Parts: sequence; structure tokens; C-alpha cells
Amino acid sequence: MKLASWVADVSVRRRKLVVGVTLLLTLAVGLLAALPSIWPDSFPALHGVKVDTDPENMLSADEPSRVFHDEVRQRFQLNDIVVVGVVDDSNAEGVFHPDALAHVHDLAEFAKTLRWKDKNGEDAGVVEVDVLAPSTVDDISQGGLGSVRFEWLMPVPPKTAEEAIAVRERAQRIPFLNGTLVSEDGRALALYLPLTAKDLSYRVGAALKERIATYGGTEQYHITGLPIAEDTFGVEMFIQMAISAPIAMVVIFLLMLWFFRRMALVAGPMIIAMISVILTMGALIATGNPVHIMSSMIPIFIMPIAVLDSVHVLSEFFDRYRETGDRTATIRTVMDELFAPMLYTSLTSAAGFLSLALTPIPPVRVFGIFVAMGIIVAWLLTILFIPAYVAFLPEKTFEDFGASHAEGEASALSRALRRMAPRVNGASKPILALSLVLLAVAGWGISRIVINDNPVKWFSPDHEIRVADDVLNSHFGGTYMAYLALDAPKTTWDPAAFVASVSARLLDKKTSLDAEGLPEITSAFTAAENELRPMAEAATDATGALASLEKLASDRADAADSDDVAESWDEVRSVLSAERQSSDVFKDPEVLRWMSRLQAHFVESGKVGKSSSLADIVKTVHRELFLGEDDQYRIPDTSAAVAQCLLTYQSSHRPDDLWHFVTPDFREASLWLQLTSGDNRDMVAVHEALDEFMDEEPPPGGLEPHWFGLTHINVVWQDKMVAGMLKSLGGAFVVVLLLMVVLFRSLAWGLLAMVPLTLTIALVYGAVGLMGKPYDMPVAVLSSLALGLAIDFAIHFLARARREVERQGSWAAALPVMFDEPARAISRNAIVIAVGFLPLLFAPLVPYQTVGVLLAAILGISGVATLLLLPALLGTFERVLFRSRAAR
Amino acid sequence: MTTRNRPLWIWALGLTAAATTLAQAVPRTAHQAAGQSAAQSAGQSTAKEEPKTAEDVIAAANRVCYYQGNDRSAQVVMEIVDAQGRTRTREMTILRRNTERAEGAAGELSDVECCASEQSFYVRFQHPADVDKTTFMVHKKPGADDDRWLYLPALDMVKRVSSADKRSSFVGSHFYYEDVSGRHLDADERTLVDTTENYWVVDSKPKNPTSVEFASYRMWIHRGSSVVTKMEYKDASGETYRTYEVLGVDEIQGRKTVVKAKMTDLRTKGSTTVTYKDVKYDIGLPEDLFTERYLRRAPREFVK
Repeated sequence: MKLASWVADVSVRRRKLVVGVTLLLTLAVGLLAALPSIWPDSFPALHGVKVDTDPENMLSADEPSRVFHDEVRQRFQLNDIVVVGVVDDSNAEGVFHPDALAHVHDLAEFAKTLRWKDKNGEDAGVVEVDVLAPSTVDDISQGGLGSVRFEWLMPVPPKTAEEAIAVRERAQRIPFLNGTLVSEDGRALALYLPLTAKDLSYRVGAALKERIATYGGTEQYHITGLPIAEDTFGVEMFIQMAISAPIAMVVIFLLMLWFFRRMALVAGPMIIAMISVILTMGALIATGNPVHIMSSMIPIFIMPIAVLDSVHVLSEFFDRYRETGDRTATIRTVMDELFAPMLYTSLTSAAGFLSLALTPIPPVRVFGIFVAMGIIVAWLLTILFIPAYVAFLPEKTFEDFGASHAEGEASALSRALRRMAPRVNGASKPILALSLVLLAVAGWGISRIVINDNPVKWFSPDHEIRVADDVLNSHFGGTYMAYLALDAPKTTWDPAAFVASVSARLLDKKTSLDAEGLPEITSAFTAAENELRPMAEAATDATGALASLEKLASDRADAADSDDVAESWDEVRSVLSAERQSSDVFKDPEVLRWMSRLQAHFVESGKVGKSSSLADIVKTVHRELFLGEDDQYRIPDTSAAVAQCLLTYQSSHRPDDLWHFVTPDFREASLWLQLTSGDNRDMVAVHEALDEFMDEEPPPGGLEPHWFGLTHINVVWQDKMVAGMLKSLGGAFVVVLLLMVVLFRSLAWGLLAMVPLTLTIALVYGAVGLMGKPYDMPVAVLSSLALGLAIDFAIHFLARARREVERQGSWAAALPVMFDEPARAISRNAIVIAVGFLPLLFAPLVPYQTVGVLLAAILGISGVATLLLLPALLGTFERVLFRSRAAR
Repeated sequence: MTTRNRPLWIWALGLTAAATTLAQAVPRTAHQAAGQSAAQSAGQSTAKEEPKTAEDVIAAANRVCYYQGNDRSAQVVMEIVDAQGRTRTREMTILRRNTERAEGAAGELSDVECCASEQSFYVRFQHPADVDKTTFMVHKKPGADDDRWLYLPALDMVKRVSSADKRSSFVGSHFYYEDVSGRHLDADERTLVDTTENYWVVDSKPKNPTSVEFASYRMWIHRGSSVVTKMEYKDASGETYRTYEVLGVDEIQGRKTVVKAKMTDLRTKGSTTVTYKDVKYDIGLPEDLFTERYLRRAPREFVK
């Protein structure tokens, strides 16, 4: 290709310029990202590194379910929570002994002080009023003389063993606390520290750990909760990027050195990989994109691909240098030969990743776009920088180059490959048959794939976060919160119905006042009736109509010339007030009882360890009003009785706790579910339990349920991801097929090129299904990588095969040639990258481990598929595939 | 305005023994209001000597706030607003009766003696409708646990309510029970930290810190009227987390009376504004009104 040799020429001749510009550009982009990260204050206009570990950001900020989630959390004042679990296996009573409780008391008091002023002078840190700890929650119980009593559950640390046990017993009497503050087994307790912002969790967690270290008691503390997990994940992610990616690079470097035996030549691909990574990550940061779990893996994805092309160039260069002894001529020939395959492999890999831009998940989109960009950068560097780099090397670097290379390669790998050639030819049929069998097995495996994810399980099982998670979920009702908002339907304003309703209430009131022998108190009722219709018609909603009527009644009462008239207007007011309250849906006993049955249904479903709602509060207060008798743990019969229970409840130390469960207008309620597992499939099961119950027992008053909470949000983005990935994989497949058809100018060859990647993807996902490994985010994203990498080998192999068949005359004659240099390049590539990424297996974060294993599997399978299946197919369908060529 | 035969009095916060009328036309914040009256009453305000010590200042303020008149009635509106601006309203009648006649024939009771005497409170809710007739009664016993009763009409139940802890919310508002019925003088140790032209500034520290949620509180007490115009509660780190401010003072039956005040929780950013309407002193509330049998059936004469 003319263009290719021209580019190589330019690159060699202007090598200083090429190298200079490349290094300057890299330095510039690197600084653009590094400076504002290190000195954010000196470069306010630039973007520094921003880390985003918030799973909520898997959905775009304007995604309806996320907008709703934020809005409802605000409405019910539900903050993100740091959970401190305390267990003590050395004591028969668990943590309920004076020593441990003294520490717990101290820790809670200390936690309340973890508050600061943020940049804007707003309070930041632990939301003191909402802290749940034995010393900060109220116990409602029986006082002396049959009185009901609110008092702090544990105002001071207990002095005796009996007092310590009493704390537990009292807490376990309160449904809201049992299974939340105190474990059902009575051995553990948990403190809940809500934060004003979740990015403070690391600071809070560190302060708590420091305090805990001073105790030296027998009890153990487990600090967890989603914000802590997210923060820890961010830290681990950086460790990962700073350690695993460089280790992978070192391993790749050593392997290449082993294959090529020339430091100077091996350094070339490494420089390209490094520059590609710096340019890509620099661009990512400088454009203000946050580093997310996905984008933190960009270097790991770019490196193999960047190395891949230059390994092909170098491999070819090695083989040819010996023939010519002229490096400029050699590099020109090599570039000429490899230009098209490299362009197409880069385009296809880029297309595979770019297809991720079709997914509805922003971090995955950013990931796809920037990896695609990195691939194109790596390609440009390979064709521009590598020739310049080769030209730069001193002549003595090449001395006795070919010889050692030939010797080295004559060993193991080359010999094995050469021996394979004749066998492959004879085994076409068995290879094809085996492939079909494997494909069938893979299909069965794919059908068994379980779609599931759980951000806590992104930590490896021995990580302290996972350990804490296991310990707490084994003791408590569950630490994964899901919330169900129940909204009363918005009513449409109907003045006529309003007038009818208020008239009926006035009439009722009049009748009852007459019955009480107070007819003089009803004198204002007729006047009120007369004002009713015009005022209702002038208003735009019931609230407005009631406000103007109430004002009228109170003005008339104040202006009245007799006490009877004034009292009569006051009676009108109380009628209006009753009308206003008729819309207080969540004081309706029927509604509360329905909620209780729904809660019971959830617990029966087995996935929900515990649930809490307004109904539980009402029932608890009702029980304590009736001397704490267990059969009085029920919803009273009228909404006024409910309201009076709640008024009693609000005489506690924490009256505002009520508003976590219901809005002050009593039109919206939130139901808290504690799940013992954060697995998406368990949340999905809870969704189904709701649907089932809604069918069985439609809610009174047409209540509408809406899920919110992070456990639910995870399911939403997972659903989007699964659908999005299928779409993007399908899209990429079509684009790559089209590129192949264009490259080979033949539909048959295009389809042939797709065979190895199809088999690779099928086998990888079939294995995922068979092993029961859940299909989670990293697994989903790797399908694009599989597509991009597996096609590479096929392109190189088929392009070369076609040329060799032309040169040699037949496939049989071309086969030994194919199993020489081309097969060697493919094998080297597969080995270098597969082995290079195995260090990821030692990563503390599961997604990186998954990526490591799957990358190795993808490279291995696609390498083998290319080297075995493509020759088998070429042999079997030689006539069809080479017919046109032979004719020409 | 008619004289409705209905209890129109006050309870709780604020009243003053200063004897002058406040000009209605004067634009007023509480500070100005109290200051105005001080200026006008210069020279003629009671025979009392100005208190000298922090103890005297607080006793006088406590008396003005909780003990004026032999009894009192008020129609009270509480507007509870949360950080999101959501408002709830409660309306109630509050009756208060001093067991010992501190005025009239008396005046013989010193401020300190007066503040150590027993009182009864009777709180009858009217709005919202579903708590209508809910009634709350307190026999306040300074230095000991009060007796409290609660009548819940919808459950047809009269219930004793434990009063060991007076610093829990008064029916979901930002006021505590103790704000409504008064904190016992002996509970705190106090220092007069400043005397300005118009105010005494007094800091109080609890003698038993574990029994309360605050570490200290500061009061601004108007020198002419002994009306507490402002309070700030501080936590252990010295940060103010709760404030009280008087928004309106009227002169009623010769007594300086707080008619509007606001309690703000700086942590939750919620507040409760309380308005006292129809305040009346010395209406002759009978002692037996404050007994259990009147919980279920309020006397129409005093409670609607």
C-alpha cells in the first residue's frame, strides 16, 4: 500500500519531529491532568482527578427512577448511613455486658461530635438527631401507676450485668429497634450513623476506628454500610491502578523480552502502551470525566491492544531484517504488509468498544468511548512512532539480531507450531465437529446464565467489608435497605363533590349538636352553607377552598357579637378541619392494616429479614397505652385514634422520627425493608413479592407503590445494562462484519472472520453460565473486548492466508507457511497478553479478578480458535473461498 | 372585639410585672418592645429593687414567664415548620393555675418562693380535628416529678404519663415539656456574664449534666420587664444548636406578656412558632378543674 510506505518514509525521515511531537503531546496532556489533580487550587479552571464510586451514577442524573429516588429520600430525610456492628463472642450475653456497653455508649457520644463545617459553612458529618444508638433512641414502656413512659433506652452505661441485659430486653420489646439496633438473637447491636454526605464516610470511619482502638474490650467492631464500601472501593481502585496495571505491564515486558531478546525493540511497544494510556487517561481526566470503577480499568484494556499491533510489526520486522539487513527498507516493507490488517484490527476493536456508547449506563459509555480512543491513538503511534523509533536505534542494536532471534524461535514454540500444520490439515472434520459440540454446550451454558450483581461482592470474600457484611447480616434482619414509597393518588379537584362532602359534615355536626342540646351553637351553619359553593368555585383546589373557608370562619368568630355565634363559627372550623383531614390517607386504619399485611407478606417471601413502617409505630404506642399487653399490639379502629397514638408518640425525644415513615400531610408513606442480601436477584424477588400481593389484595384508596433505595437502583441499572449490552454487542457484531466484508471484499470471508470471535464469546459466556458465575457488570463489558480482540487474530490470519494461497497456489501448500511466522505472531500475542493479565487474579477487588481471568480465557480461546478452526474451515471450504481467486 | 365567654388567656412563656402600657403603634421586635416599655416605665416600675445576682435575675424572669397572675388562660396556636418548609398547625387552649396565691393578697411571696410553688396546667387540643378534645394535664411540683395525665378521646382513655424526663418534645413541636411548664430553679448553676444597658445576660449550667441534652444555655433578660427575650442552648462543644426568641410582647391586664415566640432547632433546621391569643389573667379557674374527672369533659365555661 502506497500510503503505508509513505507514512513509514515520512516517519523515518522526520523521526526527530515525530518523536518530539509525540513526547511533547504526551507531556502536555499528562500535565493537563496531573497539575490540577496535585494542586487543585492553583489551577481552578482545569479538571483534576475526580473519583466516582457511587453505584447510583450507573444511571444518568436525569434517569426517572434515580430522580425519584433522590426526591423521595429528601422527602423522608433518609441519609446514607454508616453502620457500626458490635459483636462479642467471648461473652454469653454477647455485647450486653457493662464493659462493652460502656464502650458502645462512648462511641455513640463520640460519633455525635463528628461534625464539621463544609466549604459553604454548612454543617457536615454525622446527622446527630438521626443517630440510632442505645443512648440516642427512646424506649416507650410502662412507667409506674400504669403510666406510659418515654425515656432514653440507655442514657448512661449500665453498671451491672442485670442492667445490661435489661437494655437488651427493653430494646427487643420495640419492633423498630429489634433486628435493627439489637439483633434478634440478642447478642449483637448496631449503631447507625447517618451522614450529611456520603463522601464523608471515610473520615467518619477513620475517626471511629481510632476511638475504637483505645477500648481494648472483648467486643469486635465492624464498620460497614454502603458509603463506607464506596469510599473503600475508591481507595482500593487507586491501589489497583497503581499496582496491578504496572505489574501487568512488567509481566508483558518480561514475556516480550523472552520472545524477542532485544531490550531496545521490546521497549518500543511498551512506550506505545504507556503513551496511549497517558494520553487516554489524561484526556479522560482533563475533560472532567470522573474515574469510575469502569474507567479505572481503561489502562488494563488499552495496554494489550496497544501492545498487540506493535508486536505484529516487531515480529514481522525480526523475520525480515535478516533477509535485507536494511532496517529502513525492512520497516517500510513491514508497514506496507501490515497496514491494512492493523487498520482493520484497530477499527474493529475500536468499534467493539465504541458500541458501548449505545448502552444507557454513563460510566460504561465513557469507558467505551475512551478505550476506543486509546485504540486509535495506539494505532497512530504504531504506524508513526514505531518506524521513527526503529530508525532512532543505534546500528549496533541490530548486530547478530536475526541469528539469535532465529535460534530462539527455533525452539519450543516454533517447532510446536510447525508440527501442528499437517495435523490440522488432516483433522478438519473432527475440529469442526468438536467446535459444533462446544457451541451446543456453550448455548446450554448461556441459557443457564444468572444475571446478578452486588456491589458489596465486588470486594473479595476476605475483605473487611465483606466480613463485616457477613457478620452483621447473620445477626440482624439485614443491612441492605430497600424502601417502598406508597403514594395516595393525586385527586382531581371537583368543587361539586367538595361542596357535597362539607355539607354532609355540617349536617352531621348539626345533628349531633342538636342531640347534645346545644342548638344555639349551630346558628352559623346556614351562613357557612351559603358561602360554601361560591368559595369552592373560586378555588383551584381543596386546600385553597378550605383555607378561604377557614379564614372566613375564624374572621366571623372574632367579629361575632355573641358568644354563641362565635362558638358556632368555631364548630364550622372544626368541620372544615375534619374535611381537610379526610385526605390523611395514612391515618386510615384500613390502610395501616393493609401495610402490615404487606410487610408480613414480604417477610414470608424469605428475602426480607425485617420491615418497619408507620403501622409498627402506631401498634407499639397502642400497646404501651394499653399497659403493654401483647394483644393490644394492633392498629386502633378509627383514624382519630391513630392520630392520638401518633400525638402521644411525638411526645418522645425523637418526634421527627415519624417523618422518616410518612409525610406531614399523611399522603405518602415509606416502608423500610431490610434485606439480608444485596444481590440484585433477591431484590427482584422482593419486587415480585410486591406484585403478587398487589394482585391478591389491591391497596385501599388506590395507593401507588414505588420502589426506591440503592438496592433497588442497582436492579434498575442492571436491567438497563443487560438489555444495553445485548444491543451494543449486536451492533458491534454487525459493524465488525461489515468492516470484514469490506476488508476482504467478500461476504463469505467476512463471515469466516467472525467465526473465531463467535465461538470465543459463546464459550466464554457458556462457561460463565455453567460455573454459575453471575453475569455482572465486568462480565457484561468484557463481551466487547472479546469481540475486539478475537477478531484481531482472525484478520491477521486470514489476510495472510489469502496472500499465501495466492503465492503458493493452494491452501495445502500455504498451510506450512501459515504455521510459521503468522501463527507464531498470533501465539506470541495470545501468550503475552493472557499471561500478562494473570497478576490481576491477586487483586483485592473482584471485578479486576474477573477481568484478568476472562481476558486470559478470551485470548486463549480466540487464539486456539483462529489457529485450529480457521484452517479447518479454509481446508473444508477451499473451493468456495478461493474459487473467485483461482478464476482470476 | 367581643368578650367571648371563653378562656382567653395565656400560659407559659412571657409576661412581665412591669406596669406600663406598650404603645401599639411602635414597630416592634421583642427586643424593642421590651426596651420601649423599659424606657417608658423608668422611675415608675414597681417598688421592686433591681435584682442583684444571677439567681435573682432568673427568679424574677421565671416568675414573669410562668407565674404571673393567680391563673391564666390563652388560646394557643403552634405552627411547626420543618427544614423542607412543611407546616403543621396545632391549636389548643391552655389554662394555668397557681396553687399558692402569689398575687393579690400576696405579693408576699418572693420571686424564689413563687417559683418554688406548685402549679397546674390544662391543655385542651382543638385542631387538627382528629386530636380534638385530646387533653393534657400537669400538676407541676418544682423539685420533684410532676404528675401528668393524658386524655385520648378516640381511645376513650385517661392515661398517666411518666414525667421523669421533661426534655422530650411537647406534642411534636420544637418546645420541650420543660419549656412549657418551666425549669426548676435549683436544676442549674448560673453566672451573670454581662449587664448591658437593657439586658442581663445569664449563663446556666445543669447540676446534673446527664439528665439534659444541653451543656449550657444563655438567656438575655430584659432589665425593665424581666422578660426573657432570647435563649441559646449550647452542646458540649460549645456550639449553639437551639435558640428561643420572643417575637411579640403585649401588655395584658397590666402584665407584660409574650404573645409570640419561636423555638428553632439549628440542627434539623425546623422551628415552632407559638402565638398566644386571647390571653386573660385572674379569671377564677377553680382548683377542681385540674382533676381527672374534667379531663374527659372540659367545662365549657373555660374550654370550648
